[in-house]
Amino acid sequence: MTAAPVALPEAPAPQGGLRRWLSSPIGAQVTAAVVFIGAWQLLTVIAPRVPGPADVANFLFVEITGGSHGGIVRGQFFEHFAVTLQRFLLGLFFGFVSGLLVGILIGSSTLARALLNDTVLVLLTMPAFVWAFLTTMWFGITWQAPVLTVAFSAFPFVAINVAQGVRAIAPELRNMSTAFEVGRWKQFRHLTVPAVAGYIFAGLRFAIIIGWNGILLSEWFSGQAGVGFRTRYWFDANRYRGFVGWVIVFIVFIVLVDRVLLNRLQARAFRWRDQKEVDFIEIQEEQVGL
Amino acid sequence: MTDTVAESIQGDLGQANVLRTAAGARRRRYVLVVLGWLVFIGLWWLLALWVGSEARLPSPGRVFQEIVAILQEDFWAQFWASIVRVVAGFFAAVLIGTPVGLLMGRSKYWSNFLQSPVVVAGSIPGLTYAVMAFVVFGISFWGPVLAVGLIAMPYVAINVAEGVRGVDRRLVDMSTAYGRNERQVFRHVVIPSVLPFVFAGVRLSFSLAWKVGTLTEVFGSSKGIGFQIRRNYQLFNMPGVIAWVLLFVLFMLLIERFILVRLERRLFRWRQWERET
Amino acid sequence: MAQVIINRLKKTFPPPTKDGDPVVAIGDISLEVEGNVFVSIVGPSGCGKSTLLNILSGVETPTSGTVSVTEGGRAAHLGYVFQDARLLPWRTVMDNMLYVRDDGDAGETKATRYLDMVGLSHTHDMFPGQLSGGMQQRVGIARAFSVEPDLLLMDEPFSHLDAITARSLRDHLQELWSATRKTVLFVTHDVVEAVQLSDRIIVLAPGGRIFDDISIDLPHPRRATDPKVATLQAEILGRFEEMHPAPATA
Repeated sequence: MTAAPVALPEAPAPQGGLRRWLSSPIGAQVTAAVVFIGAWQLLTVIAPRVPGPADVANFLFVEITGGSHGGIVRGQFFEHFAVTLQRFLLGLFFGFVSGLLVGILIGSSTLARALLNDTVLVLLTMPAFVWAFLTTMWFGITWQAPVLTVAFSAFPFVAINVAQGVRAIAPELRNMSTAFEVGRWKQFRHLTVPAVAGYIFAGLRFAIIIGWNGILLSEWFSGQAGVGFRTRYWFDANRYRGFVGWVIVFIVFIVLVDRVLLNRLQARAFRWRDQKEVDFIEIQEEQVGL
Repeated sequence: MTDTVAESIQGDLGQANVLRTAAGARRRRYVLVVLGWLVFIGLWWLLALWVGSEARLPSPGRVFQEIVAILQEDFWAQFWASIVRVVAGFFAAVLIGTPVGLLMGRSKYWSNFLQSPVVVAGSIPGLTYAVMAFVVFGISFWGPVLAVGLIAMPYVAINVAEGVRGVDRRLVDMSTAYGRNERQVFRHVVIPSVLPFVFAGVRLSFSLAWKVGTLTEVFGSSKGIGFQIRRNYQLFNMPGVIAWVLLFVLFMLLIERFILVRLERRLFRWRQWERET
Repeated sequence: MAQVIINRLKKTFPPPTKDGDPVVAIGDISLEVEGNVFVSIVGPSGCGKSTLLNILSGVETPTSGTVSVTEGGRAAHLGYVFQDARLLPWRTVMDNMLYVRDDGDAGETKATRYLDMVGLSHTHDMFPGQLSGGMQQRVGIARAFSVEPDLLLMDEPFSHLDAITARSLRDHLQELWSATRKTVLFVTHDVVEAVQLSDRIIVLAPGGRIFDDISIDLPHPRRATDPKVATLQAEILGRFEEMHPAPATA
């Protein structure tokens, strides 16, 4: 572990390929990852009960590729993952669509807002594990419980964000469009949709993060299959390497979805917002002191 | 002089008019909000009638009885236990998150170094933190504190970093030109610009932290709201679960509306005029 | 009555793009200013006017050459009025005035007096956000005068304001200056404004070099409508056009 953090960029950059690479953005991120794994390894020395990185990697390899280990059948990784993904997407769909409808309603009508706003706020405040408990008490250990947990926890986040977006449409643009006699459909397509799209994405992003947490909780408390169930299975068996392995799986999943998928979508939808060039010119002007 | 007096009188009258209509609008809104609650309770009641089973969906009246019973019993002791833990967790989050954010805001290298860990830490499901806290501390006071601290810390750090980057260079230059020293710049320029961001971080993570705090109590606690919800769940006491959840929700909304919003308004009085210019 | 000596000053900024050339803000300037004079520095955009003030005030450092701003052998006190007011939005007007002083309560009397001179003593406890742009700029001017500087730097202080507000502020400034007679370095791109206000006009050309140095000998305060001022303005505008800066669109 000699890869200690090196020079700050403020210091004159020392020549020499390695040092320069280490202080580059990618170098910094790699250093961070190395330091993290090193610290984890160190932790296993201090607390032997904590499984080390190699232990966990080994576990995941067997869990994915199959084999038998101490009488426990392994290799059902993809089955569990598929079950969870299916329920997650179904619940997300219900939560998103209902959130969208209620959000548009609250955003566009003052009456609906006054009537429904507090109800949505109450739902927003409910912890996901409460939905996991309630749905289990209603439906028992069935597929409906996790699906509804996802839908209920995702719904208010979508609704609130969409409502905000609808209300934030600049009245000047609305007036301008009316003044130029832009048709209703055209207004919807060129004004409402682009203006609200950002808020819908924000809502969807929240919905995905919150919903993912919801399904893990629901499967943890009352599942017979799925990622959450499997995580609990190893936890209850006192095999912490299994527990940590599955935790890493669901963290990696959510981070990948959040970063790769949503960032791409957003970049496509918001090309018009890209103001890098403008900012650059402004910065230049300020530096030169015009 | 007379001009200004006339103007101020006119101004007062104008203001009074605005106030009158504003008060009217506010009254109308209150009526609608109350109506909203009545609609909510009414729908719940009808649904309960239709379900027809107290174990599945108790009526609002039944839950209200339960709430009264809880309030007469040990409500405050349970709540207080949860409050202390969440506040302690927040304290830890601000204590650790602020220096991390300062580091990220001031140095490009550390920003690159810490960016991914902080973002990943911010998207880890609360379940992980809750179980981890339970594994580390068992049934203990410190479990929820740790979980709350871990979940809130990234929000505080990211917001502080954002705030430090947002410090207005022009105000720093102005201070330099007038010969202000670093301590004065820090106190009068840096801190006031970063403070709203710290507050935003706390507000953003507030409800999340409470949720994780109670979840941790579900796993490893013998006290607190989370523990009570779990106990009633295990006894299959539906009215009890709903009563505790409702109390939790009401409490959160009250804190949000009456404490956080007011505190923010007081602390950042200067901001209410900023938007207009 | 400060003494400003600028000797072979150069300032370049790092190139905007990786393979571009460094940006020259100030090519080579030598200049001396002394006594109770109002000096304007005039020139088109990009000739390093603001950079010059930033170097004099210590916000930026020169690439080469030296500057010294002294008052009877010691470093001079500075006041600075910026293009924008640059008030701390989270402090009241009075706290903004006191921020640039180190003498606490004693300073408050002085600060009040200068606020009064720009007609804003009633804004004492208001936040900057509650004031109009013109009022904020007046607070900025009062702040600069209230530190009773040996040298007052002003960087296009009226360019962000509407014409009517700017005109009334020019009158305010002349009054204040007549009462205090500081050494002033006033940056502007408006020749008409420069002629009305100053005793001496230094014209900079693109690339940051001195193109011309004109003295103006008319009594203060001057009214914008005074025919003598108007004649002189026309004459100097004519000289200014001779400079033929690169095509106006550049």
